[in-house]
Amino acid sequence: MKLNLNQQRGMWWTLSAALILAGVISMALSWNQFQAPLKPGLDFVGGTRLQLERDCSQPQNCQTPLQVADIRKVLAEKNLAESNVQIIGQNSQGIAIRTKPLAEAERTQLKEALTAQLGKLDVEKSQIDTVGPTLGRQLLASGLLALLVSFAAIIVYLSVRFQFDYAFFAIVALFHDVLITMGFFSILGLTRGVEVNSLFIVGLLTIIGFSVNDTVVIYDRVRENLKFGGKRSITATVDIAVNQTLGRSINTSLTTGLPLIGIYIFGGETLKDFALTLIIGFAAGAYSSIFIASTLLAWWRQRQERGSYNPPITDSSPEET
Amino acid sequence: MLKQQRFLLALIALLVVGALVVVTPFGKQYGLGKINLGLDLRGGSQLTLQVNPTEEVQDITPNVMEAVQSVVANRLNPEGVSEIVVQTTSNQQILVQLPGVSDPKEAEKLLSQVAQLDFRRPNNAILAQVNVRRNELQRLLQKLPETEKAEDQAALTKLQDEIKQKEQQLADLQGQFYQKTDLTGEDLTDASYAISQSQPNKWDVTLRFDVDGGRKFAELTKSLAGTGQPLGIFLDGQVVSEATVGDQFKANGITGGAAIITGNFELEEAKRLANQLKGGSLPVPVKVEEIRTVGATLGQDSIRQSVYAGVGGLILVLIFMGVYYRLPGLIADVALCVYGLLTFACYVLFGVTLTLPGIAGFILSIGMAVDANILIFERTREELRSGKTLYRSIESGFYRAFSSILDSNITTLIACGVLYWLGSGLVRGFAVTLGIGVAISMFTAITCSRTLMFTAISLPSLRKVELFDSKKAKVVS
Repeated sequence: MKLNLNQQRGMWWTLSAALILAGVISMALSWNQFQAPLKPGLDFVGGTRLQLERDCSQPQNCQTPLQVADIRKVLAEKNLAESNVQIIGQNSQGIAIRTKPLAEAERTQLKEALTAQLGKLDVEKSQIDTVGPTLGRQLLASGLLALLVSFAAIIVYLSVRFQFDYAFFAIVALFHDVLITMGFFSILGLTRGVEVNSLFIVGLLTIIGFSVNDTVVIYDRVRENLKFGGKRSITATVDIAVNQTLGRSINTSLTTGLPLIGIYIFGGETLKDFALTLIIGFAAGAYSSIFIASTLLAWWRQRQERGSYNPPITDSSPEET
Repeated sequence: MLKQQRFLLALIALLVVGALVVVTPFGKQYGLGKINLGLDLRGGSQLTLQVNPTEEVQDITPNVMEAVQSVVANRLNPEGVSEIVVQTTSNQQILVQLPGVSDPKEAEKLLSQVAQLDFRRPNNAILAQVNVRRNELQRLLQKLPETEKAEDQAALTKLQDEIKQKEQQLADLQGQFYQKTDLTGEDLTDASYAISQSQPNKWDVTLRFDVDGGRKFAELTKSLAGTGQPLGIFLDGQVVSEATVGDQFKANGITGGAAIITGNFELEEAKRLANQLKGGSLPVPVKVEEIRTVGATLGQDSIRQSVYAGVGGLILVLIFMGVYYRLPGLIADVALCVYGLLTFACYVLFGVTLTLPGIAGFILSIGMAVDANILIFERTREELRSGKTLYRSIESGFYRAFSSILDSNITTLIACGVLYWLGSGLVRGFAVTLGIGVAISMFTAITCSRTLMFTAISLPSLRKVELFDSKKAKVVS
C-alpha cells in the first residue's frame, strides 16, 4: 500500500472540512437549544441528580416496571415538576431524576416520598450528585486554561526540537481532533440526548496527548528524511515519511483501540461515553496526523520555497540534534 | 557491552522483585500493597465546601482555611478513626471524602451550622424597659372589654392597633433581652449527650468547661442565682435553652465546670450538637457546593466490568504483538508486563489515588508504551529489508526510533506538567497517572526491551531472521 498524500490532499482537506462543518452546524443548533455547543451535563449547569433503584431482594418489591407518570406525580407534589425523569436499569426498576440543586432537607424529603411510592430502595446502588452552578464554570475555566497553556508549551518545545511551522501545524491538527470529537458529541447530544460532563474534558485532554504523539512520530521521520534524503521535494519527502510510518500508525491505533473498544462494548456504564470519546478522538488523531498535519506542512513549505528566490532545500532541514 | 547488559538485566530483575514486594500482600506489613481507589470507583460521597467571607471575617486567609479544615475534620471524624479525608483544594474550597457513605445527609447537617455557642445574661437596662412596656400593654388590654362593649368601632380599631404596636415593641426588646458574656464555646473542653432528666424520651447535651470556662460559668451563675433572671444558652444567635439558677448557688455559683443544655433534643440532634460543639465553631460558614456519591456496589460493578473489558483488550494486544512482530513482539510483551508492574508499584509508592480519569491516563500510557515498541520494531524491519545484518538492524532500530520516542514522550510529559499545575481534581488525577506511566515506559520500552532483545539474540537458536520478519525470510529463501 502506498499513499500519494499530497496529490490527493484537496480531498482529505475537504473531508475534514466537511466533518468539522457538520460538527459546527450541530454546535450552532445546540446553542439554540441548550445555550451551549454541546448538551451540557450536570457538571456544567448545576443541579441535583438522583439515581435510585428498587431493592429487589425485598419480597414483592420489584413486581411491576416503574412508570414515569408515577414519579412525576411525586415530583409535582414536591414542587419539582420541572424536573427530568428517566427510567433506567434492567426490568425498569431504577430511576434517574434531575432537578434544581436540592439542599439536604429537600432531598431527604423527596427520597422519602419516592420510597413511599416505589418501595424500599437499594442504597448500595444509589447515586446522588449535586453541583452548584458556579463549580461547573470553575472546572471548565481551569480545564480550558490548562489546555491553552499546554498548547503553548507544546508549541515552544516542538519549535525548539523541530521548527515553528511544524509546531504550528501540530496544534492545527490538535484543534482538528478536538473539533471533530466535539462535533460528534454535539450531534449525539441533539439526536440521542447524550450529555457531556467533566469527564469529557479529561477525554479531550487524553486525545490531545495521543494525537500530538502521533503527529510527532511522523514529523520526526520528515525531519530525518530531510536531513539524509538529499534533494527530494518537500511533498515527496513528506509522502515517503508518512508511508514509512504507516505500518506503525495503523498498529498503534489498533493496539490502543482494542482495550477502548472492549470497554465501550463490555464495560460498565460509567466509562462507556468516556471510551467512545477516546475512540472518536483517537481515530481523528490518527487521521489528522497522517492526512492533515503532514500535508499542511508540505503545502506550507512548498509555498515558502516558491515564494523565495533561491530555494535551497537544505534550508528546511532542522538544526543538528 | 556484555557487562553492561548483565548489569541492566540484574537491575531489571531487581526492580521487578521490588515492585512485586510493593504490590503484593507481602508489602502490607510496611503499609504498602494496596492501591488507593477513588470514591468514584469504590463508592462513597465527596463534598466540596465553599468557604464564604462574612462581615467579621472578610478575608479568607490560609489561616482561616486551616481553621475551617480542622473544625470540619473534627466534626466529621470526632474519633479520628475513619478514613474520612478533608483537604483544602483551592483558596476557598475544601474537599471532603466519605468512603462508603451513600447519602451524606448527616455530614451536611453537621456542617450546616457555624455552631457558635455562647452564654448570655439578661441586659438590665432592657429588662427595665421590658417591664415598663409590659405594664403599658397590660393597661391597654384591660381597656379592651370596655371598648368592645361601647361598640365604638373607631375607638376599637385604634386600641387594637396600639396593642399590636406594643406587642411588636416587646418582641423587638425580647430580641435584645440578652447580652453576651465572655463565656462561649471556646471555653469548652468536651461535649456529650445524655438522656434527659426532666423530659421523658428526650436528650440533653452535656458540656464540660476548661478551668477558665469553669470559673466564668461559676461567676455568671453566682450573679444570676436567686434573682429569677434566666441564663440563656445561644447557638448561632438563636436561643436553645433558658434556665434560672436556684437560690442555693448564691454563695459560689455553679462550680465543677460542667453544664447541661436541656433543649428537648431528639437523640440524633443531641448527638449532632455535641459533635459540633466538640469540634469547635467554624470561623466562617461553609456551603456545600457539590456532592457526588456513588453507591458502593454501583461503583464496584461498573469498574469490575470495565477492568475485565480493558484487560481483555490488552490481552488481545499482547497476542497481536506476538503474532505480528514475532520474537520482538514477545519481548515487547514481557517488557509491557514489567511496565504494568512497575507502574502499579509507583502508584502504590507515591500514594496515587486511582479514579476514572486516572485509569484513562493509565490506558493512554499503555498505548504509548506499546507505541514505543512498535516504532522500534517497524524500524528494525525496515533496516532488515534494506539488507543490514540482524544485529545491526536491531541496533539501528533502537537508535533511530529513539528521537521520535523521546520527542513524543516529552511533549506528553510537558502537557502532563501543565495539567497537573493548573488543573483541578479530575484533571490532576489524569495527569499524574499519565505522567508516571510515560516516564516508566521510556525505561521499559527502550532499556528493558533492548536488554532483553540483545540477551535473546545472544542465544544462537533465536538468532534467525524469520523470527523477526516473515517477509524477509521468504525473500532470503
